[in-house]
This record gives sequence, structure tokens and C-alpha cells, in this order.
Amino acid sequence: MSRRRRVHDALAPDLDATLASIIGASVLLTVVAGLVQVRYGAYGMSLETAVRALFDRAVWTNPDVLATIVLGQRGAAALGLTADLGTLSDATILVWTSRLPRVLVAGFVGLNLAVSGAVFQAITRNELASPYILGVSSGAGVAVVFTLLFSLGAYLLPLAAVVGGTAAFLLVYAIAWRGGTTPVRLVLAGVVVGTIFNSLQTGLFYFIDSNGVMRTAVAWLAGSLTGVGWPEARIVAVPTLLVVPAALVSARQLDVLLLGERAARSLGMRVEHMRFGLSALAIVAASAAVAVAGLVGFVGLVVPHVVRTFVGSDYRQLMAGCLFAGPALVVVADVFARLALPGTQIPVGVVTGLLGGPYFLLLLRRTDSFTEF
Amino acid sequence: MPEIPLLSTDRAQTTDETDTEPLEDAALLASDIELGYGEEIVVDCEHLVIPDGRVTALVGPNGSGKSTLLKGLSAELSPESGTVLLHGRDVHERSVPALARELGLLDQENDAPGGLTVDDLVTHGRYPHRGFLDPLSEDDYAAIDRAIDLAGIDHLRETALAELSGGQKQLAFIAMALAQDTDVLLLDEPTTYLDLHHQLRVMEVIRTLNDERDVTVCVVLHDLQQATRFAEYLVALEDGAVYDWGPPEEVVTEQLLADVFDVDASVRHDPDGDPHIVPRRAIE
Repeated sequence: MSRRRRVHDALAPDLDATLASIIGASVLLTVVAGLVQVRYGAYGMSLETAVRALFDRAVWTNPDVLATIVLGQRGAAALGLTADLGTLSDATILVWTSRLPRVLVAGFVGLNLAVSGAVFQAITRNELASPYILGVSSGAGVAVVFTLLFSLGAYLLPLAAVVGGTAAFLLVYAIAWRGGTTPVRLVLAGVVVGTIFNSLQTGLFYFIDSNGVMRTAVAWLAGSLTGVGWPEARIVAVPTLLVVPAALVSARQLDVLLLGERAARSLGMRVEHMRFGLSALAIVAASAAVAVAGLVGFVGLVVPHVVRTFVGSDYRQLMAGCLFAGPALVVVADVFARLALPGTQIPVGVVTGLLGGPYFLLLLRRTDSFTEF
Repeated sequence: MPEIPLLSTDRAQTTDETDTEPLEDAALLASDIELGYGEEIVVDCEHLVIPDGRVTALVGPNGSGKSTLLKGLSAELSPESGTVLLHGRDVHERSVPALARELGLLDQENDAPGGLTVDDLVTHGRYPHRGFLDPLSEDDYAAIDRAIDLAGIDHLRETALAELSGGQKQLAFIAMALAQDTDVLLLDEPTTYLDLHHQLRVMEVIRTLNDERDVTVCVVLHDLQQATRFAEYLVALEDGAVYDWGPPEEVVTEQLLADVFDVDASVRHDPDGDPHIVPRRAIE
């Protein structure tokens, strides 16, 4: 069997009708919400203008222009490509430099959070686990507030979030380790680290005296996409290129891990190696999202949960569903975050929380037993 | 390979036969092992042989160390001292995947997502034979079909585990272990909690597996009568040590029931020589 065929078989899940309709619906939602996002705003335009701007041939047929927009002036210049964007129409400039990248970032954020949540739900054998269960949110939160408090520079925020989140995750692992780990010990260690770091974060908050800094901090902690552009899209795109194939390849490992530690071991899995590797993947995914959008809540919890209710707990299907449903949720939520209140924007994390809460209320009312896992 | 007689020499009761049966190959051979959790030593056993190509039953009362011994044999637990040899090589020398291709282990209690179908579950049995990116090969499909066929659950292939009865579920897990295609299979109380019909089904699958594919089976059983019926060899454990072992008709005696199980019972032998246990009362 050729190498290519092998990779294809490992990456492509069996596409059944349910999964296909989840993917179809997600793509549709993403496209519609994306169009709304591109069309509406302080500078209004007709749908036709918006679509024309999106498919503007001045951009698509011109690598110099495209590279300058996507990679930035400096990035494009490094490739030897330069262009003057002033020649483009106003609508095209607005769509391409401001509104489209925000939709893309929202999509990437949703994808990474959904994958991360799905992985953590399998590792902890808890279908209510979120990407933040092993301390990422609290670690990133402290680092971000610290950076803001001491005015270390706003450009450092993504880096601070990733470093803080990863440090907290490693600390959790160190605390949970006693000749090995167990899901319960990992979760408990996550609670320990989370509690301490959240206290630190609250303590740091107390010393912020500028209103503007406070607002930035809150936006970060709630998760916001206000003002994101191509630089953020580039930051999140790079890890995503790694996360997507890794998530699809990991699906079978997650399925085996879900049989329980002893069963996985007797089937020949090096459980500790695998669990650490998979956690690391989930942390990379979560960090990528946190770095550009802050701590957007509920996405990583709700998306795998919703997809699971349709496709069951086969991770090859679940992962594929998450790759599409995650972006759909965040892109839609961001439409509300940006356009719901005229004249101002709210953090997208607030919207996902407002959507996620009622979903679980509904679930609580309609389900008698939670035995899917 | 060290020469260990098939019959133990340190038996607690006096028997009239001589302890010099012909030697046989050992699939698993444990010598001087001490197994425990932390400070506490649960199993302390001088030597134990699981003969190659036979069905061996580990019997003993609750807390006699049967499950711990199984963990030691499957390298899940490292012995404090002593060695466990699988086909002559230390089990701990093998990598986890390599061991899983030679030795299968099915736990007493198994749990899997309820949405999984029997087919999906049995497919996981091929895990140790597949590389990270390998799709299922012809061999894998053949092994899965054989396992499902042997377990007699063909009609349940597409059924979700959540919809199965306890007995059917156990057969599905056994099929998963069968798909692993190992020479040695360890089973921890596979019949506990099952109704009589499924207990017999499970034991028949084990017998067939041994007869047709020559797989060495070591099975922990709660029910001594069942052990005498299905196993060719019994190993009786008492307080973490081997009390006696050999063919059932020799091991199962009134003395064993009194010493090991604290049961006053009469043991009768039917014309074929198979022992029948009639328990009378518990000994205080």
C-alpha cells in the first residue's frame, strides 16, 4: 500500500450521513455569519458590494497585493513582493484588512478550542472537561494581568498568555505525578493550580488603577476579538496547521484511551507517554486560541459535547465534526459580539457564555442519564 | 529454561502419588516473586508455572492475591523481587506494544463508551499490530472476523455496547482480547456477575480458543466447580502463596476446601474422575 494511501486512510474518517450534515450545517453557518460580519458595521455596504469586495480581482489576481494584505508590508517585502494598497477601493480595503481577518481569526479560535476540549474530555474521561481544565486559563490569566499591570508592552500579551498557560499545565502535571498520573489526579491538580493562580490574578487586579488597562484586562480574561487583524490571523494559523492533522491522527489513540487505562495498556499503549503527548497537543491548540482571543469560555466544552450527541463517541468522527462546528460557533458568536449593541462591542467570550449556559440548561432538562462516556 | 516440575513439591497435605510428572514447557514462569502495593506484599510465591498450550485456572478465596498475581504476570506490576518469564524472557524486557502482541489481558471490569459498536470495540483489539498511521490491513480484518465468530456474537456486530446485556458485553470484550491474537491470554474473573448461560458461553469460548488455536489461557475463577470443569490445571492460592497445583482431580480435595476456602465439603468423583464438590457448611 502506498504511503499516500495510508496517510489518507488514517486522516479521513468514515463520512456517514450524520457527520456530513454536521459539517454541511457548520460550513453554511460559518459562511452566512461571515458574510454578515463582512457586510455590516460602522461603514455599511450592500451585500453585493461586500461580495464584490471579497472576490475583488484586484486582490485575487495580484500576488503582490494579496501577500501585502495577508503577510503585512514587511512580511511581503521579505518575499520580494510589494504593493500599494491605496489603489484598491474603500470597500475592498475595509473588507480585506479589517473584517475578513476577524472572521478568519474567529474560525481558527473556534477550531482550536473545540479540538482542545475534545482531547481533554477523553484524557480526563469527563465529558464536561474544557480546554482550561489543566490550568491553562489561570496560568494565562495571571501572566496577562501581570504583563498589563507592569506595562510590559501589549505586543507581549500573546506570548505571555502562552508561556503562562504552558507553565501552569507543566505545574499541574508535576503536582499530579506520582510514578504516573491518573485522570482524577490530573483534574485535582488542575483545581489546585487554578485556585492559587486565580487568587493571584484577583490580587493583581486590585493594583490596576487605570480604567483603560482594567478594560483591556477584562477583555482578555473574557475573551475578545475586538481589533484583531492579519497579525493575529498569522499567529493562530501556524499552530493550527499542526493541530489539525495531529488531531485527526490522534483520534484512534483517544478512542483506545477511552477504554480505560488498564485496557489501553494491555492493548499495547504506553499510556503515560500518550497522555502527555495528547495533553501537549491540546495545550498547543488552547494556547493558540488564547494568544489571539484571550480566554473565550464554553466553546471547548460545548462544541465537542454537541457533536458527540450526534455522532457518538467515536473520536474519528467527533474530531472531524469539531473541526467544523468549532469555527461555526465562534464566528456566529462574534457576529453578536460585534454587532448586537450599536456603537460598542462586547467580548465574544461573553456571548459564548450566554449561549453555552442555556445549552446545558436544556441538556439538564431533557436528559435523564449521562452515560455516553 | 529452568526445570520446574509440573507438580509442586511443597504441598501442604500428604498425597500418595509421586511428584515427578514429565516436564512441560512453561508459557509463563514466575520464580520467587514478591508482588505488592507500596510496603504491603500481597503475593509471595516461590514458583508458578502456567503450562504452554493449556487452560489453567487460578482459584482461591477473596483476597488470596489472584488479581495481584495476574498483574504481576502481565507486567502491570513490577515484582519487588523475583522474575516473571514469558516464553523464557522476562516480561519487563519487552516494550509495552511488543508484550501486547504476545500476551493479552482482560480485566475483571471493563468500561467503554456506550455508543461504541461491537465491531468498533473488537477493532481496538488490533491496536498493538498497527502502526501510528496504519489503516486496517487484510490481516486485521481477518483477525476481527475470527474473533467475533469465535465469541459467537456475529449478530451483534453493529449493535452499540449500551444496548447489550452484561453477558453479551463480556463476550464483546473477550472478542476484543481475541482479536489481539496473542499466544497467551490472561482473564480476570470473566464469568463473575454473568448469568449461568453466559458463564457457560464464556467458558466454552475459552475452551474452543485453546482447542482450535492452541492459545495458553490463564483464567481467574471464583467458582471452584467451574474451574474443575473447564481447566486442565488448577493453581490454588492461599494468602498470596501457592497452596497446591496440578490437574483438578488431584488438587480438588476435601482438605483443600477446608484449608483454603474454609468450607466443609465432600468431594465425590464421577466415573470419569471429575471431582464434584458438595459444600456442607462454612468453617469458622
